[in-house]
Amino acid sequence: MAIEVDSAIELPGLGDAGTAAAIAPPSPSPPPASAPSARVRLDPDELERRWSGGQEAELMRELRDDEQVLLSVEHQPGCGYLLHAPGFARILVSADGGELLCAPLTDDPDWTMLLPAQALPLAATLQGFEVVHAAGLALGRRAALFAGPPGAGKSSLAAALMRLGAELLSDDAVALSFEDGGLIAHPGVALLHLRSAEHGRLPAAARAHLGSSTRFQSKRRYAPATATARPFGSLFLLEHAAGGAPLERLERVDPFELLRQTYNLSVRTPERLARHLDLAAALASSGNVYRLRVLAHMDATRLAEVVYTELTGT
Amino acid sequence: MTPTSTDDLLSARVRMPQHVLHRSFVAETVVLNLRTGKYHGLNPTAGHMLDALAAAPTVGAAVPELAREYGIETAKAEDDVLALCKGLIERGLIEVVDADSA
Repeated sequence: MAIEVDSAIELPGLGDAGTAAAIAPPSPSPPPASAPSARVRLDPDELERRWSGGQEAELMRELRDDEQVLLSVEHQPGCGYLLHAPGFARILVSADGGELLCAPLTDDPDWTMLLPAQALPLAATLQGFEVVHAAGLALGRRAALFAGPPGAGKSSLAAALMRLGAELLSDDAVALSFEDGGLIAHPGVALLHLRSAEHGRLPAAARAHLGSSTRFQSKRRYAPATATARPFGSLFLLEHAAGGAPLERLERVDPFELLRQTYNLSVRTPERLARHLDLAAALASSGNVYRLRVLAHMDATRLAEVVYTELTGT
Repeated sequence: MTPTSTDDLLSARVRMPQHVLHRSFVAETVVLNLRTGKYHGLNPTAGHMLDALAAAPTVGAAVPELAREYGIETAKAEDDVLALCKGLIERGLIEVVDADSA
């Protein structure tokens, strides 16, 4: 994703503060014109002016932890979507997804994680992309996506595949577009988060391959270079399992399982809903949807080897 | 147009309104109501019936071929088709049009 970031906002993976940063590594070819892009500004006053001057907002989504609201998403037609993480930050995503106005509610710089975690995927959705909750890797010419519930091991698997030569597209949210009759997977924010325990189990060579890391809450954060956009190749649906073959190509894919992989539940325009359904149909008809069973005796390295062999034939 | 009787429904034509989309998957058909944002799943039989209803000039006209395809009595096929139609109409996924409409 091409992002222009206010100099006052610092988040690894968004490029140097104050510069127009293309997340993709330097490439002979310019990023495709169809890639998601956004301007991110630190401007609480402008956020308040726009939001207060608009129509009555509709609550689209609320994420709660028991009685506490963790995140709310409100919508004002013509103005955009306001994400509010109480005590953390408010971010107004413009109606076309091209501009994000940020109003931190804390001095803790970790508020910026609301950008890759919620605001930027929402912006990409508003720009016409379908964002899936998955780790995306480029393996050769194609993209492989790894979807699954929190804790399924997507990031660990991504790190293990990177050690085998895959390049990171995104750790958590992959933007897809329909182009030339096919699906294209676009790179996202260049961040990879591993649980501290997983980081501790990595051999020194593996850590060196991922690059330097910083502590982020209970995890280690890496900011590797990302791959350029790739045609979609395969989707792996991760699940913890007690038995069965670790890898199974699915002949019959549950469309509702595919629909559930969406990253965004807030944008419900007819155009977006139709696109969401079309994505599920495109993924199912690709013939390359797999069940990837995370068995107790298989760590991320072994699982990555299974996937790598399937995708490369080596 | 809301049919008031079984005979009315059998002699009517049904169609999917413009705000309803459907996509076929191997194991089911997903129908999306763009107005409500709700997704509905139809099993393969119901999905096939929906296709037959969309192509038939009337609901009743779809029944004999469906009965033959599934090897069931015409009366059973008619009951199944009517039940499907009523369920889809209730959910706003199909609408009844005049049988003479194009």
